[in-house]
Amino acid sequence: MIGAMISNFEPYPFGLGLLLPLSVDKPMWLWLLLVIPVLAVVSWRVLVAVRPFRRVMAILVRSLVIVVLALCLADVTYVRTTDKLTVFFLMDRSDSVKDLQQVQEEYLTTVSAQIKNKPRDRVGMIDFASNAYLQQLPMQGGYHVPVGRLPEMDHRDRTDVAAAIRLALAMFPHDSAKRIVLMSDGNDNMGNILTEAENAQAAGVQIDVVPLWYEHRNEVYFDKLVAPTRVAEGDVVPLRMLLHAERATTGHVEIYHNGRLVEIPKDASRISLRPGNNPFNVKLPIEGGGPQRFEARFVPDDPERGDSIEENNTATSFSFVAGKSKALLLTMNDEDDLALVEALGKENITVEVRDVSAGNLDLLDLMSYSVVILANVPANTFTSEQQMDIVNYVSNLGGGLIMTGGDDSFGAGGWIGTPLAEVMPVHFEIKHKRVIPRGALAVICHSCEIARGNYWGTEVAKTSLDTISSRDYFGVLTYSWSPGGVNWDVPLQLATDKASIKKRIDQMTIGDMPDFDPTMKMATKGLAATDAAQKHIIIISDGDPSPPAASVIADMKKNKITCSTIGIGFGSHVMEAPLKDIAKKTGGRYYPCRNPKKLPKIFVKESKVVRRSLISEERFSPQVQYAASEMLAGISSGEPLPPLGGMVLTSPKDEAQIALVRLGKDGVADPVLAHWQAGLGRTVAFTSGFWPRWGGAWVSWPKYSKLWSQIVRWSMRQEAPANLDVFTRITGNEGTVVVDAVDKDASALNMLSLPGVIIKPDQKTEQLVFTQTGPGHYEAKFKVDQTGQYIANVAVNEDGVAQGSIQTGVSVPFSPEFRELTTNVALLEKVKDVTGGRWHEDMSQAASHPIFDHDLPPNRAKEPIWEWMLAWILLPLFLLDVAIRRLASWLAFSVVFELVLMVVLLFGVGVIYGPWWGILGVILLVELIGWSMRFKSIGPLIESLTSNVAVLGQAGERSTASIGQLKDVRDRVQDEASGKTKAKPTHQPDVDRGARFDVGDDAAKIDAGDLRESIETGPSTRKDKSQAPKQSPGAAADGDDEDATSRLLRAKRRARRDMDEDKDN
Amino acid sequence: MFGGLGLGQGEFSYPRALTVDRQNRIYVVDKSARIQRFGSDGAFQLGWSMPERLAGKPVGIYAHSDDRVYVPDTHYHRVMVFDADGNELARFGREGNGDGEFQLPTDVAVDDDGFIYVSEYNGNDRVTKWSPEFEFVSAVCAGEVDGKIMRRPAALDIDREGTLWVADACNHRILRFDLNGQFLSSWGEMGGEPGQLRYPYDIDCLDDGTILVCEFGNHRLQWFDNEGKLLRSWGKQGRRKGELWAPWGAAVGNDGRVCIVDSLNARVQILEK
Repeated sequence: MIGAMISNFEPYPFGLGLLLPLSVDKPMWLWLLLVIPVLAVVSWRVLVAVRPFRRVMAILVRSLVIVVLALCLADVTYVRTTDKLTVFFLMDRSDSVKDLQQVQEEYLTTVSAQIKNKPRDRVGMIDFASNAYLQQLPMQGGYHVPVGRLPEMDHRDRTDVAAAIRLALAMFPHDSAKRIVLMSDGNDNMGNILTEAENAQAAGVQIDVVPLWYEHRNEVYFDKLVAPTRVAEGDVVPLRMLLHAERATTGHVEIYHNGRLVEIPKDASRISLRPGNNPFNVKLPIEGGGPQRFEARFVPDDPERGDSIEENNTATSFSFVAGKSKALLLTMNDEDDLALVEALGKENITVEVRDVSAGNLDLLDLMSYSVVILANVPANTFTSEQQMDIVNYVSNLGGGLIMTGGDDSFGAGGWIGTPLAEVMPVHFEIKHKRVIPRGALAVICHSCEIARGNYWGTEVAKTSLDTISSRDYFGVLTYSWSPGGVNWDVPLQLATDKASIKKRIDQMTIGDMPDFDPTMKMATKGLAATDAAQKHIIIISDGDPSPPAASVIADMKKNKITCSTIGIGFGSHVMEAPLKDIAKKTGGRYYPCRNPKKLPKIFVKESKVVRRSLISEERFSPQVQYAASEMLAGISSGEPLPPLGGMVLTSPKDEAQIALVRLGKDGVADPVLAHWQAGLGRTVAFTSGFWPRWGGAWVSWPKYSKLWSQIVRWSMRQEAPANLDVFTRITGNEGTVVVDAVDKDASALNMLSLPGVIIKPDQKTEQLVFTQTGPGHYEAKFKVDQTGQYIANVAVNEDGVAQGSIQTGVSVPFSPEFRELTTNVALLEKVKDVTGGRWHEDMSQAASHPIFDHDLPPNRAKEPIWEWMLAWILLPLFLLDVAIRRLASWLAFSVVFELVLMVVLLFGVGVIYGPWWGILGVILLVELIGWSMRFKSIGPLIESLTSNVAVLGQAGERSTASIGQLKDVRDRVQDEASGKTKAKPTHQPDVDRGARFDVGDDAAKIDAGDLRESIETGPSTRKDKSQAPKQSPGAAADGDDEDATSRLLRAKRRARRDMDEDKDN
Repeated sequence: MFGGLGLGQGEFSYPRALTVDRQNRIYVVDKSARIQRFGSDGAFQLGWSMPERLAGKPVGIYAHSDDRVYVPDTHYHRVMVFDADGNELARFGREGNGDGEFQLPTDVAVDDDGFIYVSEYNGNDRVTKWSPEFEFVSAVCAGEVDGKIMRRPAALDIDREGTLWVADACNHRILRFDLNGQFLSSWGEMGGEPGQLRYPYDIDCLDDGTILVCEFGNHRLQWFDNEGKLLRSWGKQGRRKGELWAPWGAAVGNDGRVCIVDSLNARVQILEK
């Protein structure tokens, strides 16, 4: 432990000792020092039996113990002054300076080369845009990342200098002077840079500024495109545009409505811009309901001269058109769903059918519809973003969602573990015990050469785990670095505890696999041993491990194991041939994948092979379980329903209403039709399907259209009353949702409860808190920190009853980075001035910039030293205190004193870490003190030792005689026992237990008294020695039978008496 | 021992091959596609990058006695030839399975007559012979050898007697051919016991006739005589000095020192003679 303390504690310099600059964090504990006078008085009185010199010393040591104890409790720190310097470079990598990255890296490399001759100085680097990242910890030797080797920066569409400063302040080592060098254009559009600059100044950190210069003199950008939030169907929408030009220029504007170019005569669209803001208005007639997207683009006549940043030439906006409610049916095969569409049409419900593979579905799209029907579509046809859009559409925008079955739906469609599963009224997993065929999936991950290959390996393993049922087997194989190489990183097991399996996946170390053979062999062996009906292997690799032997493939075929392969990488990097070959020979599929983000989607699709166990294709007649369901109006509980040919197995959720069920032979009721409220919206699960194989009999059922119209109508979104006006505006980084509410008499509605939510471009939601700011006028603020669409939903409650919801939104078409036309010199100068930094104008003069000058005030670093003081000062002093009182021997005491002094000076004060002559000096000093203490007692000691040797010799002789006597006694006892002798003579003395330790004669007692006296050393010993023979006979006469303790006590009293006499003399 | 994880000079990002030239300078190629040259004392001298690196990085390197440095540019299916300072002298080969084509070349050796031998794998598991002018000559060994189809010939070397040695990595054995591809002998079986092999990724023929084998899977070096009899073994899996973690290659300099590229530890260890 002591060793560890030495290694963990950086020692303070030699020679300063207790004069070191110390500070305490909890000064209250210093009141403990008041105990010292009390302790001194009490000790003086208590230690009456101790010689005065020792008494004084004991009081001093105890006082010192109190001082050190108080300092330890007060959290004492050592204040160190160092001349080290740490410089953190902050590199701006936002879009506004994207062309200046290499310049910054070269500057950094050049300027940090100055550190070569300053081995104690350190360089750190943080790059930033929307987020700040530490790229180099403070290190000696300069900047170590070669030019062009920095990782890609994400979210470059914002600049948050404050975050970078904050990170630097947190990462500075405490034992050096601190300087930040900020390389930026100063166009901070997220944080509060000046606040952080003030924090830096308070922390004694100077910020030097290296401005990144640019100026776009001929820039034109769209400041705004404003469309009314809500319009009525058939209205003409006025679009208001505001274009900003740095100088006069000409061009024309293109308007797109829902992605289509609006025909505007060339002359009408041509515009001449003057310097400053230029407003324009266009009116567009609108047909159809739902959200309407508008986009305006400025096209300069001369792009070379007229404009340099293309991204800011476009503005977008959208309006909501109130229209008739309609349903969106997403399908993969619209022929299967024709009957449903026709049936709903008969009931006056408009259905728009869309092939799900067409893509381009987003939240704004969904908002055009009151309900969305997923008709037997698998999860992998949607991106994870689209899945979140659907969830937001239901939970936060009040939309309806109906999922109908088929072999690509529910759990069989890979929806297990998706966000959508959370909002549906049934569990996609089978919760009840039942014997159904299992699936088994083994994933083989190879460490690919792509960036973050191992990360993607673990991600896809987790995704595939998510999508299989907990009743299926799952395992992951990799080439690991352990002996033998191949390992089940996740042993093949039932996927019941997915959380713990994921933990194991996260701990995987994916090695560089030389060949597929052993891993595939192991996977085959493992899968073959299971009772699974479907056995499947998925391999993710760049294909460069050697292919497996033919015998492995044959073995897989024999065990009916299929294998799909995913080739991941770029261009020629992927060795496709062996991967394709494996898939082809085993009946699997090969997927090329250039974008790792698509990997999870592929895995969801592939995992389907093992999910087939969730499909039941037994013919059955559903039965009504919850006749009161609004959906079943007109259908009585005992009414026979047409049979269905199959279903996807699910389990009901607790709060869900299960309208129809299939009663299985095992008595389990499987949900067929279930529904519930999910957030603001409603969801329905119909686990069977309408394709001829399953639902043929239902389509011809007379109540088919009625039942489905009731299901769809129940699910539809409730629109808000028309007496609400809502719109959104953006000012800087802040958005505001405004609601004006009036009743039918145009009187303001006050004190309304308006729960609202804003869905940001990254699909995260934020609650809107409305505050009434005027009669019937409510506002809620939100932060605008992303580019894209912000969609708000405001629910209306009157008297605690939901009245529906209303939507609004606003679009941020391009990053504010593209709005910045020149370096923000004023802000950068302010940062420099606040922190007392310097301005380094010209980056080409990097070598001469005084970045590493030691001109900052010396750093005063505080280091806690209480543990140190406790171990190396307090404990030794405590021992010394004990020694003073308990060690009668002056010689022994001097040795202890010497040791304690040496420990305190060498370790407590830290001399051991100083130069050799310091250590030598301490040792000599301590020895000098020690020997001077021993000087007076050393002569008597030798004398005492010599006499003791003589006494011991005499005692030996007496011992021999005693042993002879004891032998006699023993012989007698033995004789008595054997009957050779008669009873013990009465004149013989009794031999008791104590006699074994006593020689039994007076002489021996006298000499024993000598021995005891000789144990006592010091000035009195000489006298005792002369007196002992005279006193001993008397002592012996006084008590032949007194015990040894009594004799020792008496000797002690005599010694004290002698000491007092010495003192008096 | 030198190196360490990083992208700076003298640092490595998963180094995978190493060679020693006649001046005992050490060349190391890593997974950042950089080639760094070090003095025999381990001091960094210079470095250069492969011309392309996105598709993948080289897994082999060979410095010939004429100071040429051959780098099988594995994932670009070609061999690059540099001088000792990193100036490109030539490149040959293209992707394919035919004559003059490569699939993932792994190592290079040059015989006394200047003929170049290149090993490759990924379905093309073979060794091809090229003229000193970089013209394709023949495939000297391919297909089934001694009862097994070659699988990932990861390394090759030519001994003083003109015998071509091939590390047949995924069959865990060492093969021996004459320079025309005539099979002579083989030895080795998979395992972790002394004398057994697990993924021999590099092979080096020493002047005294012994064969040094570097095992990726067993994290060790083994010295054999030319009949496959184990002479000596060194190394075990670990992070400390004297331990190895997934070593990809080893080479012996003129001074008899053994340099090992300790891949997962991102360093080079040197064994004194």
